[in-house]
Amino acid sequence: MPKKLLIVDDSPVSRAIIKKCLPEGHDFELFEAEDGQQGLEKFKEVKPDATLLDLTMPVMDGFEALEEIKKVDSGAQVIVLTADIQPKAYETVMGLGAAMVVPKPPSSESIADGLSKIGLI
Amino acid sequence: MNTSQTDTTFTKEDGAILEEVMNIAFGKASSELATVVDLRILLNAPKVEFLQADDLLRWIKQDTADNDTLNMIEQNFWGKYTGSAFLAFPTSASKGLVSLFEDDDLPPMDEENPLLVKENLLEIGNILIGACVSKVAELLDDEVTFSPPRLIPRMVVDNLANEARLDPDKVAILIKTVFHIQDKDIKGFLFLVAGEESMAWLKTALQNFMAKF
Repeated sequence: MPKKLLIVDDSPVSRAIIKKCLPEGHDFELFEAEDGQQGLEKFKEVKPDATLLDLTMPVMDGFEALEEIKKVDSGAQVIVLTADIQPKAYETVMGLGAAMVVPKPPSSESIADGLSKIGLI
Repeated sequence: MNTSQTDTTFTKEDGAILEEVMNIAFGKASSELATVVDLRILLNAPKVEFLQADDLLRWIKQDTADNDTLNMIEQNFWGKYTGSAFLAFPTSASKGLVSLFEDDDLPPMDEENPLLVKENLLEIGNILIGACVSKVAELLDDEVTFSPPRLIPRMVVDNLANEARLDPDKVAILIKTVFHIQDKDIKGFLFLVAGEESMAWLKTALQNFMAKF
């Protein structure tokens, strides 16, 4: 059965890069959202096995989206993929319950590490 | 994306790739500044526009009060992509910016200490421009060297082209972003200006960047 993966990122280029970096040999059902608000709605709708979440987005940023997702499901597995690599941003998202932070641009290895850490692959 | 004039050589996809590259680069730049001032810098997603240098005025005016002036920091860079980078922000925001560097051992930074103010504005420009342009270069397999930063103080927006010595034939890549430094609301503009040769290289480099994945 394919694992449901939700990618929340306002940049179509970033979403394309993330999809290219997904490990081969695993069956994923992909869902996408263009901002935190859409991501939250999509999360409620599809109940993904994991969410790959950007931080810097319009409408609702990734910090708020992460907080809201955790209110919906405190056990949600969220990997933050971000260009915002400030120590305080890292501390904030880890405090909000992110499983880990992957700096942009991601690589096949960094995505695989993240998915492995949360037991998805 | 702006669809007029110079961006005809840049597709919508090129612009989207550059936006992501700039997003990564500005994240790096903000991280560098945040480390220095030990404050959290909140970023908005940057928006990229390709414009003739002349059109910069129109863009900057959209977000600048009529009677405001700009403090602008300019730094030239040389590589396969060669040009000038500018960090501009309203003069009224300068006090908030330089206060980030205030130290109990130093006299307060105000109008009576113009040299300290200037040094700190240059340092902020140097950090943001240097980190941003260096990261872009790294992502696009280029290497750049920099001139020292130059401060253009209290510039009237209408004098932008003259003060910044902009060649109207050159193409500007405007990266408009708003950054909030914790509880300080400071809006700044970062833009790069380069000639046609660099733009041709940039277009190829963006495609090569995507091909890596």
